[in-house]
Amino acid sequence: MSVVSSKRSPWIKRVLIAGLTLLIAGAVVIYFIFTEKFTDTSKKDAAFTVNAMDFLREFQKSDSLANKKYAEQIITVRGRVTETEAADTTINIKMIDTATAAYIIFAFQQQHLAEAKQLKAGDSVSIKGSCSGGTYSDILETEFVTFKRCAITK
Amino acid sequence: MKKSILFLALVSVMGASYAQKKTTTSATISFDATTKLDALPKGDNKTVVASLDTKKGTVAFESVVKSFSFANPKMQEHFNSGMWMDSDKFPKATFKGTITNLADVKFATDGTYKANVTGDLTIHGVTKPVTTTATVVVSGKAVTTTSDFTVALADYGVNGPAIGAGKVATDPKITVMAEFK
Repeated sequence: MSVVSSKRSPWIKRVLIAGLTLLIAGAVVIYFIFTEKFTDTSKKDAAFTVNAMDFLREFQKSDSLANKKYAEQIITVRGRVTETEAADTTINIKMIDTATAAYIIFAFQQQHLAEAKQLKAGDSVSIKGSCSGGTYSDILETEFVTFKRCAITK
Repeated sequence: MKKSILFLALVSVMGASYAQKKTTTSATISFDATTKLDALPKGDNKTVVASLDTKKGTVAFESVVKSFSFANPKMQEHFNSGMWMDSDKFPKATFKGTITNLADVKFATDGTYKANVTGDLTIHGVTKPVTTTATVVVSGKAVTTTSDFTVALADYGVNGPAIGAGKVATDPKITVMAEFK
Protein backbone atom coordinates (compact mmCIF):
# COMPACT_ATOMS: atom_id res chain seq x y z
CA MET A 1 0.00 0.00 0.00
CA SER A 2 2.77 2.35 0.91
CA VAL A 3 4.49 1.52 -2.40
CA VAL A 4 1.37 2.58 -4.37
CA SER A 5 1.03 5.85 -2.48
CA SER A 6 4.70 6.71 -2.98
CA LYS A 7 4.23 6.19 -6.74
CA ARG A 8 1.16 8.48 -6.86
CA SER A 9 2.68 11.20 -4.78
CA PRO A 10 4.91 12.80 -7.46
CA TRP A 11 1.96 12.82 -9.91
CA ILE A 12 -0.35 14.52 -7.40
CA LYS A 13 2.40 16.97 -6.56
CA ARG A 14 2.83 17.88 -10.22
CA VAL A 15 -0.91 18.43 -10.65
CA LEU A 16 -1.04 20.54 -7.53
CA ILE A 17 1.94 22.63 -8.58
CA ALA A 18 0.50 23.11 -12.11
CA GLY A 19 -2.91 24.06 -10.68
CA LEU A 20 -1.37 26.50 -8.22
CA THR A 21 0.78 28.05 -10.96
CA LEU A 22 -2.27 28.49 -13.19
CA LEU A 23 -4.23 30.00 -10.30
CA ILE A 24 -1.48 32.51 -9.51
CA ALA A 25 -1.01 33.38 -13.20
CA GLY A 26 -4.78 33.89 -13.57
CA ALA A 27 -4.91 36.07 -10.47
CA VAL A 28 -2.00 38.18 -11.73
CA VAL A 29 -3.66 38.63 -15.18
CA ILE A 30 -7.00 39.59 -13.58
CA TYR A 31 -5.20 41.97 -11.20
CA PHE A 32 -3.45 43.74 -14.08
CA ILE A 33 -6.60 43.94 -16.22
CA PHE A 34 -8.67 45.49 -13.45
CA THR A 35 -6.06 47.82 -11.99
CA GLU A 36 -4.85 49.02 -15.37
CA LYS A 37 -5.42 52.71 -16.11
CA PHE A 38 -5.60 54.49 -19.43
CA THR A 39 -2.14 55.57 -20.46
CA ASP A 40 -1.27 59.22 -20.96
CA THR A 41 -2.72 60.15 -24.37
CA SER A 42 0.30 62.34 -25.15
CA LYS A 43 2.40 59.15 -25.19
CA LYS A 44 0.13 57.31 -27.61
CA ASP A 45 0.43 57.30 -31.40
CA ALA A 46 -2.39 58.93 -33.33
CA ALA A 47 -4.17 56.78 -35.92
CA PHE A 48 -5.12 59.96 -37.83
CA THR A 49 -4.02 63.59 -37.94
CA VAL A 50 -6.75 65.83 -39.29
CA ASN A 51 -7.71 69.44 -39.92
CA ALA A 52 -10.61 70.35 -37.62
CA MET A 53 -12.99 71.76 -40.22
CA ASP A 54 -12.33 69.00 -42.79
CA PHE A 55 -12.86 66.43 -40.05
CA LEU A 56 -16.15 68.06 -39.03
CA ARG A 57 -17.34 68.12 -42.65
CA GLU A 58 -16.81 64.36 -42.87
CA PHE A 59 -19.23 63.89 -39.97
CA GLN A 60 -21.71 66.37 -41.43
CA LYS A 61 -21.63 64.49 -44.72
CA SER A 62 -22.24 61.07 -43.11
CA ASP A 63 -21.76 60.54 -39.39
CA SER A 64 -22.30 56.77 -39.72
CA LEU A 65 -19.37 56.48 -42.15
CA ALA A 66 -17.22 58.88 -40.14
CA ASN A 67 -17.99 57.01 -36.90
CA LYS A 68 -16.89 53.73 -38.47
CA LYS A 69 -13.61 55.36 -39.43
CA TYR A 70 -12.85 57.45 -36.35
CA ALA A 71 -14.80 56.31 -33.25
CA GLU A 72 -12.62 55.06 -30.40
CA GLN A 73 -9.44 55.96 -32.33
CA ILE A 74 -6.68 58.24 -31.08
CA ILE A 75 -6.74 61.29 -33.35
CA THR A 76 -4.74 64.51 -33.51
CA VAL A 77 -6.92 67.47 -34.51
CA ARG A 78 -5.31 70.68 -35.75
CA GLY A 79 -7.40 73.82 -35.61
CA ARG A 80 -8.23 77.10 -33.98
CA VAL A 81 -9.89 77.35 -30.57
CA THR A 82 -13.30 78.99 -30.97
CA GLU A 83 -14.22 79.00 -27.31
CA THR A 84 -13.51 77.45 -23.94
CA GLU A 85 -16.31 76.19 -21.73
CA ALA A 86 -16.23 75.29 -18.03
CA ALA A 87 -17.28 71.71 -17.30
CA ASP A 88 -17.75 71.45 -13.54
CA THR A 89 -14.19 72.04 -12.22
CA THR A 90 -12.54 71.27 -15.57
CA ILE A 91 -12.52 72.96 -18.95
CA ASN A 92 -13.46 71.89 -22.47
CA ILE A 93 -12.09 73.31 -25.69
CA LYS A 94 -14.36 73.83 -28.70
CA MET A 95 -13.69 74.26 -32.40
CA ILE A 96 -16.82 75.49 -34.12
CA ASP A 97 -17.78 75.70 -37.78
CA THR A 98 -19.30 79.17 -37.59
CA ALA A 99 -21.31 78.66 -40.81
CA THR A 100 -23.27 75.67 -39.47
CA ALA A 101 -22.66 75.84 -35.69
CA ALA A 102 -21.37 72.24 -35.88
CA TYR A 103 -18.57 71.72 -33.40
CA ILE A 104 -15.84 69.49 -32.00
CA ILE A 105 -15.46 69.42 -28.22
CA PHE A 106 -12.44 68.16 -26.31
CA ALA A 107 -12.46 66.98 -22.68
CA PHE A 108 -8.99 66.63 -21.17
CA GLN A 109 -7.09 64.07 -19.15
CA GLN A 110 -6.49 65.25 -15.58
CA GLN A 111 -2.73 65.66 -16.13
CA HIS A 112 -3.32 67.92 -19.15
CA LEU A 113 -5.98 70.21 -17.67
CA ALA A 114 -3.51 72.93 -16.67
CA GLU A 115 -2.31 73.27 -20.31
CA ALA A 116 -5.92 73.35 -21.56
CA LYS A 117 -6.78 76.14 -19.12
CA GLN A 118 -4.08 78.30 -20.72
CA LEU A 119 -5.81 78.21 -24.11
CA LYS A 120 -8.05 81.03 -25.29
CA ALA A 121 -10.25 81.74 -28.28
CA GLY A 122 -8.22 82.27 -31.45
CA ASP A 123 -5.25 80.08 -30.44
CA SER A 124 -3.98 77.61 -33.02
CA VAL A 125 -3.54 74.22 -31.42
CA SER A 126 -3.07 70.48 -31.98
CA ILE A 127 -5.11 68.32 -29.64
CA LYS A 128 -4.74 64.56 -29.39
CA GLY A 129 -7.52 62.49 -27.85
CA SER A 130 -9.84 59.53 -28.02
CA CYS A 131 -12.67 60.26 -30.44
CA SER A 132 -16.05 59.22 -29.00
CA GLY A 133 -17.74 59.81 -32.35
CA GLY A 134 -20.19 62.29 -33.77
CA THR A 135 -23.94 62.64 -33.81
CA TYR A 136 -26.71 65.13 -34.52
CA SER A 137 -27.91 67.13 -31.53
CA ASP A 138 -31.69 67.39 -31.36
CA ILE A 139 -31.29 70.16 -28.79
CA LEU A 140 -28.88 72.34 -30.79
CA GLU A 141 -29.97 71.08 -34.22
CA THR A 142 -26.42 70.61 -35.41
CA GLU A 143 -23.72 67.95 -35.69
CA PHE A 144 -21.15 67.57 -32.92
CA VAL A 145 -18.12 65.38 -32.34
CA THR A 146 -16.81 64.62 -28.87
CA PHE A 147 -13.35 63.68 -27.62
CA LYS A 148 -12.27 62.34 -24.24
CA ARG A 149 -8.86 61.99 -22.46
CA CYS A 150 -7.26 64.73 -24.54
CA ALA A 151 -3.77 66.22 -24.41
CA ILE A 152 -2.31 69.25 -26.15
CA THR A 153 0.50 68.30 -28.48
CA LYS A 154 1.48 71.78 -29.64
CA MET B 1 -41.52 107.35 -35.60
CA LYS B 2 -44.00 105.67 -33.26
CA LYS B 3 -44.07 102.66 -35.60
CA SER B 4 -40.27 102.46 -35.50
CA ILE B 5 -40.23 102.55 -31.70
CA LEU B 6 -42.96 99.90 -31.62
CA PHE B 7 -40.95 97.73 -34.03
CA LEU B 8 -37.78 98.12 -31.98
CA ALA B 9 -39.67 97.26 -28.81
CA LEU B 10 -41.06 94.14 -30.50
CA VAL B 11 -37.58 93.08 -31.63
CA SER B 12 -36.28 93.61 -28.07
CA VAL B 13 -39.08 91.51 -26.60
CA MET B 14 -38.41 88.75 -29.15
CA GLY B 15 -34.70 88.91 -28.33
CA ALA B 16 -35.42 88.61 -24.64
CA SER B 17 -37.71 85.67 -25.36
CA TYR B 18 -34.93 83.83 -27.25
CA ALA B 19 -32.50 84.55 -24.40
CA GLN B 20 -34.77 82.61 -22.06
CA LYS B 21 -33.56 79.40 -23.66
CA LYS B 22 -30.07 78.76 -22.33
CA THR B 23 -27.81 75.99 -23.59
CA THR B 24 -24.47 74.43 -22.75
CA THR B 25 -22.33 71.78 -24.42
CA SER B 26 -20.32 71.05 -21.27
CA ALA B 27 -22.87 69.73 -18.80
CA THR B 28 -21.56 66.78 -16.81
CA ILE B 29 -23.10 63.44 -15.89
CA SER B 30 -21.37 61.23 -13.34
CA PHE B 31 -22.26 57.60 -13.03
CA ASP B 32 -21.43 55.61 -9.87
CA ALA B 33 -22.27 51.91 -9.87
CA THR B 34 -19.60 50.84 -7.40
CA THR B 35 -20.31 48.12 -4.85
CA LYS B 36 -18.45 46.57 -1.92
CA LEU B 37 -17.08 44.00 -4.37
CA ASP B 38 -15.94 46.40 -7.08
CA ALA B 39 -14.82 50.04 -6.93
CA LEU B 40 -14.27 50.36 -10.69
CA PRO B 41 -17.68 50.93 -12.30
CA LYS B 42 -17.82 54.71 -12.17
CA GLY B 43 -17.25 57.25 -14.89
CA ASP B 44 -18.29 60.61 -16.19
CA ASN B 45 -19.19 62.50 -19.33
CA LYS B 46 -18.20 66.17 -19.41
CA THR B 47 -19.48 66.95 -22.90
CA VAL B 48 -23.23 66.63 -22.38
CA VAL B 49 -25.53 68.97 -24.34
CA ALA B 50 -28.22 70.59 -22.17
CA SER B 51 -30.87 73.25 -22.47
CA LEU B 52 -33.01 75.19 -20.02
CA ASP B 53 -35.93 77.40 -20.93
CA THR B 54 -36.39 79.68 -17.94
CA LYS B 55 -39.75 80.93 -19.22
CA LYS B 56 -41.36 77.57 -20.00
CA GLY B 57 -39.43 75.60 -17.36
CA THR B 58 -38.37 72.94 -19.84
CA VAL B 59 -35.05 71.13 -19.46
CA ALA B 60 -33.32 68.69 -21.78
CA PHE B 61 -30.10 66.68 -21.73
CA GLU B 62 -28.41 64.73 -24.48
CA SER B 63 -25.44 62.47 -23.68
CA VAL B 64 -23.29 60.47 -26.10
CA VAL B 65 -22.80 57.13 -24.34
CA LYS B 66 -19.29 56.61 -25.75
CA SER B 67 -18.25 59.93 -24.20
CA PHE B 68 -18.32 58.39 -20.72
CA SER B 69 -14.76 58.13 -19.52
CA PHE B 70 -13.61 55.52 -17.00
CA ALA B 71 -10.23 55.18 -15.29
CA ASN B 72 -9.98 51.51 -16.28
CA PRO B 73 -9.98 50.50 -19.98
CA LYS B 74 -11.71 47.14 -19.37
CA MET B 75 -14.51 48.86 -17.44
CA GLN B 76 -15.08 51.30 -20.31
CA GLU B 77 -15.19 48.38 -22.75
CA HIS B 78 -17.76 46.56 -20.58
CA PHE B 79 -19.85 49.73 -20.19
CA ASN B 80 -20.16 50.15 -23.97
CA SER B 81 -20.63 46.45 -24.72
CA GLY B 82 -23.85 44.62 -25.53
CA MET B 83 -24.02 43.41 -21.90
CA TRP B 84 -24.38 46.96 -20.61
CA MET B 85 -25.19 50.09 -22.59
CA ASP B 86 -24.73 48.66 -26.11
CA SER B 87 -23.54 52.06 -27.29
CA ASP B 88 -23.22 51.05 -30.96
CA LYS B 89 -26.95 50.29 -31.03
CA PHE B 90 -28.06 52.99 -28.56
CA PRO B 91 -25.55 55.83 -28.98
CA LYS B 92 -27.39 58.48 -26.94
CA ALA B 93 -29.06 58.80 -23.54
CA THR B 94 -31.55 61.65 -23.26
CA PHE B 95 -33.79 63.42 -20.79
CA LYS B 96 -36.67 65.77 -21.58
CA GLY B 97 -38.52 67.27 -18.67
CA THR B 98 -40.27 70.19 -17.04
CA ILE B 99 -39.89 72.10 -13.79
CA THR B 100 -43.26 71.55 -12.12
CA ASN B 101 -42.86 74.29 -9.49
CA LEU B 102 -41.61 76.98 -11.87
CA ALA B 103 -43.20 79.79 -9.83
CA ASP B 104 -40.88 78.92 -6.90
CA VAL B 105 -37.71 79.26 -8.99
CA LYS B 106 -36.91 82.96 -9.51
CA PHE B 107 -34.55 82.96 -12.48
CA ALA B 108 -34.41 86.76 -12.37
CA THR B 109 -33.31 86.91 -8.73
CA ASP B 110 -30.00 85.65 -7.36
CA GLY B 111 -30.46 82.78 -4.95
CA THR B 112 -30.64 79.04 -4.44
CA TYR B 113 -33.88 77.27 -5.25
CA LYS B 114 -35.25 73.75 -5.15
CA ALA B 115 -36.84 72.68 -8.43
CA ASN B 116 -39.09 69.66 -8.88
CA VAL B 117 -38.43 68.10 -12.25
CA THR B 118 -40.44 65.46 -14.04
CA GLY B 119 -39.82 64.04 -17.48
CA ASP B 120 -38.80 61.13 -19.68
CA LEU B 121 -35.39 59.48 -19.38
CA THR B 122 -34.23 57.36 -22.29
CA ILE B 123 -31.37 54.92 -21.70
CA HIS B 124 -30.50 51.82 -23.73
CA GLY B 125 -33.44 52.57 -26.04
CA VAL B 126 -35.98 52.39 -23.18
CA THR B 127 -37.94 55.48 -22.09
CA LYS B 128 -39.28 55.75 -18.54
CA PRO B 129 -40.83 58.61 -16.57
CA VAL B 130 -38.57 60.11 -13.91
CA THR B 131 -39.29 62.57 -11.11
CA THR B 132 -36.46 64.18 -9.20
CA THR B 133 -35.40 67.39 -7.50
CA ALA B 134 -32.68 69.77 -8.60
CA THR B 135 -30.81 72.56 -6.89
CA VAL B 136 -30.86 75.72 -8.98
CA VAL B 137 -28.36 78.48 -8.21
CA VAL B 138 -28.98 81.81 -9.92
CA SER B 139 -26.09 84.28 -9.97
CA GLY B 140 -26.54 87.17 -12.35
CA LYS B 141 -27.15 85.70 -15.80
CA ALA B 142 -25.60 82.35 -14.84
CA VAL B 143 -27.81 79.46 -13.77
CA THR B 144 -26.26 76.31 -12.31
CA THR B 145 -28.40 73.22 -11.86
CA THR B 146 -27.43 70.06 -9.97
CA SER B 147 -29.43 66.89 -9.46
CA ASP B 148 -28.73 63.49 -7.89
CA PHE B 149 -30.91 60.47 -8.46
CA THR B 150 -30.69 56.73 -8.90
CA VAL B 151 -31.68 54.65 -11.89
CA ALA B 152 -32.75 51.01 -11.69
CA LEU B 153 -30.74 49.42 -14.52
CA ALA B 154 -33.25 46.56 -14.87
CA ASP B 155 -35.98 49.10 -15.76
CA TYR B 156 -33.92 50.03 -18.83
CA GLY B 157 -33.16 46.46 -19.89
CA VAL B 158 -29.56 46.57 -18.62
CA ASN B 159 -28.98 43.16 -17.03
CA GLY B 160 -25.31 42.22 -17.42
CA PRO B 161 -23.88 39.24 -15.46
CA ALA B 162 -21.70 41.61 -13.38
CA ILE B 163 -24.91 43.13 -11.97
CA GLY B 164 -26.17 39.71 -10.90
CA ALA B 165 -22.77 38.94 -9.38
CA GLY B 166 -22.93 42.09 -7.22
CA LYS B 167 -20.01 43.81 -8.96
CA VAL B 168 -22.21 46.55 -10.42
CA ALA B 169 -24.88 48.36 -8.41
CA THR B 170 -28.44 47.57 -9.46
CA ASP B 171 -29.36 51.25 -8.86
CA PRO B 172 -26.37 53.43 -9.79
CA LYS B 173 -26.21 57.00 -8.54
CA ILE B 174 -26.39 59.59 -11.29
CA THR B 175 -25.26 63.19 -10.74
CA VAL B 176 -26.11 65.78 -13.36
CA MET B 177 -24.61 69.27 -13.34
CA ALA B 178 -25.11 72.02 -15.90
CA GLU B 179 -23.92 75.62 -15.86
CA PHE B 180 -25.91 77.88 -18.19
CA LYS B 181 -24.60 81.35 -18.98
